[in-house]
Amino acid sequence: MRIKDKSVVQNFSFSGFAGGTNVGRVDVMDGKVVRIRPLHYDEQYTREDLNGWQFKKGDHVFDPGFKTFLPPFAYGYKKRAYSPNRVPYPLKRVDWDPKGERNPQNRGKSKYVRISWDEAAQLIADEIVRIHENYTPAAILCCGEGHGQTKTVAGGHGCMTMMFDHIGGYTCQARQPDSWEGWYWGAKHMWGMDPVGQNTSQLNSFKDITENGDAVLYWGADPETTPWGWSGQQASRLCYWFNEIGILSIFICPDVNYAGAVHADKWIPVLPNTDAALQLAIAYTWITEGTLDKEYLDTHTLGYEYLEEYVLGKVDGIAKTPEWAAEKCGVPDYRIKALARYWARHAVSIAHCNGGGYIRSCFSHEPARLEVCLLAMQGLGKPGATQFKFIEWNLFGDTNTPLPPSEVIPESAGGWHGWMMQPPKEPFIPKTLTPKAILGELPIKWYSRVTACLPTADQAGQYQFPPVGMEDCDGIHMIWTDTPCWETCWNGGNLYQDALRSEKMELIVAQHPWLENDCLLADIILPVTTTFEDLDFSVDHQNGQWYGIYYEEPSIEPIGEAKSDYRAVAEVCKKLEAYGGKYEGLYEKYTKGRTEEEDVQLAFEKSGIDTSRYDYADFKEREFHLFPTRKDWENDPPHLSEFRADPENHKMASPSGLIEIFSTTIDSIWPDDPERRPYPQWIEESDEHHERMSSDRAKDYPLLCVSNHPRWRVHAQCDDIPWLREIETCKVVGPDGYGYEPIWINPKDAEKYGLADGDIAKLYNERGAVLGGIIITERIMPGAIYQDHGARVDSIVMGYGEGLDRGGANNLICPNATTSTNAPGEVTNGFLVAVEKVDVEALAKQYPEAFAKPFDPAYGQVAYSKIIEEAC
Amino acid sequence: MKAFTIDVSICNGCRNCQIACKDEHVDNDWRPYAAKEPEIGAFWIKVEEKTRGQVPWVRVAYTPVLCSHCTDAPCVAACSYGAFERRDDGFLILSPEKCQGCGSCVPACPSHAIYFNDELNIAQKCTGCAHLLDNGWTEPRCVDVCPTSALKLIDIPDEGAIPEGAEVLPGLEGAQPHAFYFNLPKRFIAGTAVDPDEREVIIGATVSISSARDGAVLEMKTDEFGDFKFDQIEPDVYALSIVAPGFEAVSMEVDVTEIDRSVGDIFMSAVA
Repeated sequence: MRIKDKSVVQNFSFSGFAGGTNVGRVDVMDGKVVRIRPLHYDEQYTREDLNGWQFKKGDHVFDPGFKTFLPPFAYGYKKRAYSPNRVPYPLKRVDWDPKGERNPQNRGKSKYVRISWDEAAQLIADEIVRIHENYTPAAILCCGEGHGQTKTVAGGHGCMTMMFDHIGGYTCQARQPDSWEGWYWGAKHMWGMDPVGQNTSQLNSFKDITENGDAVLYWGADPETTPWGWSGQQASRLCYWFNEIGILSIFICPDVNYAGAVHADKWIPVLPNTDAALQLAIAYTWITEGTLDKEYLDTHTLGYEYLEEYVLGKVDGIAKTPEWAAEKCGVPDYRIKALARYWARHAVSIAHCNGGGYIRSCFSHEPARLEVCLLAMQGLGKPGATQFKFIEWNLFGDTNTPLPPSEVIPESAGGWHGWMMQPPKEPFIPKTLTPKAILGELPIKWYSRVTACLPTADQAGQYQFPPVGMEDCDGIHMIWTDTPCWETCWNGGNLYQDALRSEKMELIVAQHPWLENDCLLADIILPVTTTFEDLDFSVDHQNGQWYGIYYEEPSIEPIGEAKSDYRAVAEVCKKLEAYGGKYEGLYEKYTKGRTEEEDVQLAFEKSGIDTSRYDYADFKEREFHLFPTRKDWENDPPHLSEFRADPENHKMASPSGLIEIFSTTIDSIWPDDPERRPYPQWIEESDEHHERMSSDRAKDYPLLCVSNHPRWRVHAQCDDIPWLREIETCKVVGPDGYGYEPIWINPKDAEKYGLADGDIAKLYNERGAVLGGIIITERIMPGAIYQDHGARVDSIVMGYGEGLDRGGANNLICPNATTSTNAPGEVTNGFLVAVEKVDVEALAKQYPEAFAKPFDPAYGQVAYSKIIEEAC
Repeated sequence: MKAFTIDVSICNGCRNCQIACKDEHVDNDWRPYAAKEPEIGAFWIKVEEKTRGQVPWVRVAYTPVLCSHCTDAPCVAACSYGAFERRDDGFLILSPEKCQGCGSCVPACPSHAIYFNDELNIAQKCTGCAHLLDNGWTEPRCVDVCPTSALKLIDIPDEGAIPEGAEVLPGLEGAQPHAFYFNLPKRFIAGTAVDPDEREVIIGATVSISSARDGAVLEMKTDEFGDFKFDQIEPDVYALSIVAPGFEAVSMEVDVTEIDRSVGDIFMSAVA
């Protein structure tokens, strides 16, 4: 029996930015994907070839495994290739007429008609030229910085910026460090740790904790969810390893997240975004009981005395006692004391996976900074005591991995087509401020060039849009996005809808494989390929096993009229050329005269591989090349042990070289910022944020919303995979057959608000409402309510205040204000909402048009419901 | 003879097995082994999920359930058309060609591992990925994609032999199944001893539970968090008592016949 015709390798990483990982084999038969399976390294390698490593404790052994540990997204991914939600061909909004009425108010409502690639590229080119003539290149906002499928040569987001670079530039939507907000805007000012503010000295953390650790605090961390799209399931195996060897696993979060569900020895439920209170009370316990490392604080930190005085109540008259904290954070005072004392007596490390309420709420710089304080108070860097991550291994250099490092960290930059996450040139707009930049009074101002990986010093710079000297720019008039998920991933999508539907916005171009989210606000939509359909090169340096480079042959022909991102932009280049002048030779400039195959070869040559030993033809034949583990990795001093032993010669990257509990940088630049003082504090509220149980708003919106990274999506990706949607924690099917995004509520709150399992309810605040399906569960503490973020937007009513979304995209109702006044991060978790049961039948009567829109019971929203068929 | 082992203590609930099974069978026609599976709704391997306990003692139990390929299978007995075929490796194939669509095998399976395909009018189930094993594969899809090796395929020498420490799914005890489970969840009782006057947890308190059924007693000390947790105990009603020097002893009845219990924070009164 024939079970396949051929098999190719492909990454199933959902990071974008050329960060491969999750490499699998795609078996193809009769021109279709027949199956997706793990890559078995022993196809070509032995453990000896790769300097195989293990951890040992007693009779227990951890082996990194010899096949890839892919997430379920990978095994379901062919459903995305063949999804009825694919953009089948180029589309134009039916009532957008560049020579007449543009009807911006109808974005998100009007349907689309089929146009040819030729017409689509011509329309876009004509509009670019018109905007250049009427305004300035800065009137075009490029949004090419999102997560998504990981492509390199085929276009890994931001290809349009490569084109605009040759014709006068563009305004860059600059992605702020959304995964690391609190670390970035807070912890970096204490200990440097560029680029993102979490511990970058993680070498041998797993080995050290294995040998010397007593406990790991999973503080807002979910290794069974967040790493999936990035590095698969090695994180899960490592959590089980800690379970197996008796490392106490303590989960501190409002919910029993998916790792807590299977790994937790203890769960300490803490109300969303109140971790700072808990941390201060732990510090109080240590200070008053004398169970902290005073000598370490003297020699390794700066300004500890400020914190001590604050904790003891000498600054504001409020001692930060466990009793004080219990009221705010929901953890009983006696449990806080027990935790503090356990921590002081044992070797305790803290694990992170990014995301979650801990680090993406208002004032998130405070819990991040307080965590560093607590670690320092217990002699950070001592055996078994560090901060480490279950994600992004090697992303920021080889000291950044807590696992044995590779001899080579391969790169894909040589063949990269797209926007690089580098300091943006002006003009740029922080992604968190895009709605304000469109709707607000210009100029708008902020600190920092914001893109995620800049040195701490960058935060001191003040910028504005339009920039000084660019007064001819009167704002944004065109958007081109290949990252069309702002609404469901950023801070307050209802306002974003208002911005994109404003009169000022003359053209919105979206370029995407699926007709979803912000695509539905676009005037022209370009269909692009899935990774199955592209020739590409990828690297994998995050899997926690062996790092490698991969030749990705296309497994199937493009679906419909899709082109790769890189080719989609090239079509517009060709049309622009005809205008001559500055547009002359644009296609040649854009492609540098090279084919994709030549770019793959270039990527190979610059990947870090020793080209004197390995040649391209051989690589192409073999499809992948792995790099061995570094020799003698066991001898690398673990994590921050060198800083602990000798801070003089192993300085932190702070101005003083010490852990600056009192940040000299914050003190010198923002000495009077009430939301981010020079040393960390409890911030109850501020002018812009009233997201506490104690806030007046809580009378109307009494619950704190946990909006985690989703278990069954990667942010906004994969929401249409039917085999995920039928999982009981993925969607709750309503009486209308529609798959609603689950809302978890504790039985006590369910009773209080009159909710039953399976009810359809709305989460709402003054910014709008989103629907969801009720799951009554002990997995969420009373007072908190849970709905994953990133569901596909399915607007019933659009816009700030009035907005009502059927899909459950709760980012639509997140706060629009940033982390704090001087920290332009996103606030997408731990915000106040109310919950109320809705009558779906009554809603359907009230909004017949929205509810009449066809959907597929298995896939949810489908493209054909938004395309005018007769025009095809 | 092939058999599955399923260690649920290392099942993280990722559903890789469930999804990969669909990846193999939904859009692919592997007759004579199996016809196409419907898009959704059928689960030739299904991860059952159950939330256990109450705040703050909550865990989730995941149990992958698939056809146990029983030697003495109730489904085979229920079939009047001889649609089931036993392979030499022990896997039981429900032939898409021979099945007449009577549906009588579906309710016969105690594990509910057979699904009826309305469109094709046949019953369907796990084939052990026999089409792959016959073409060079050494294990089925679900086993290949399991990241923690919770699912394994093993060779068993003797028909019906149960590996040490293993259990079979309820209802299959006499059927000689070829799917062996380890660490299936039983019940837990957990809580915390607290001194409400001093606002402290009580460390080292003696906690005991006594089974109503057989009087068996288990005892443990509260840990550094004042916590106790009796795990993997039999469903039963227990008499729980907490004794700590200087405190009035606390006794209570805890019924875990149906569900796991957090008894919460137990406030103990100081001896007057």
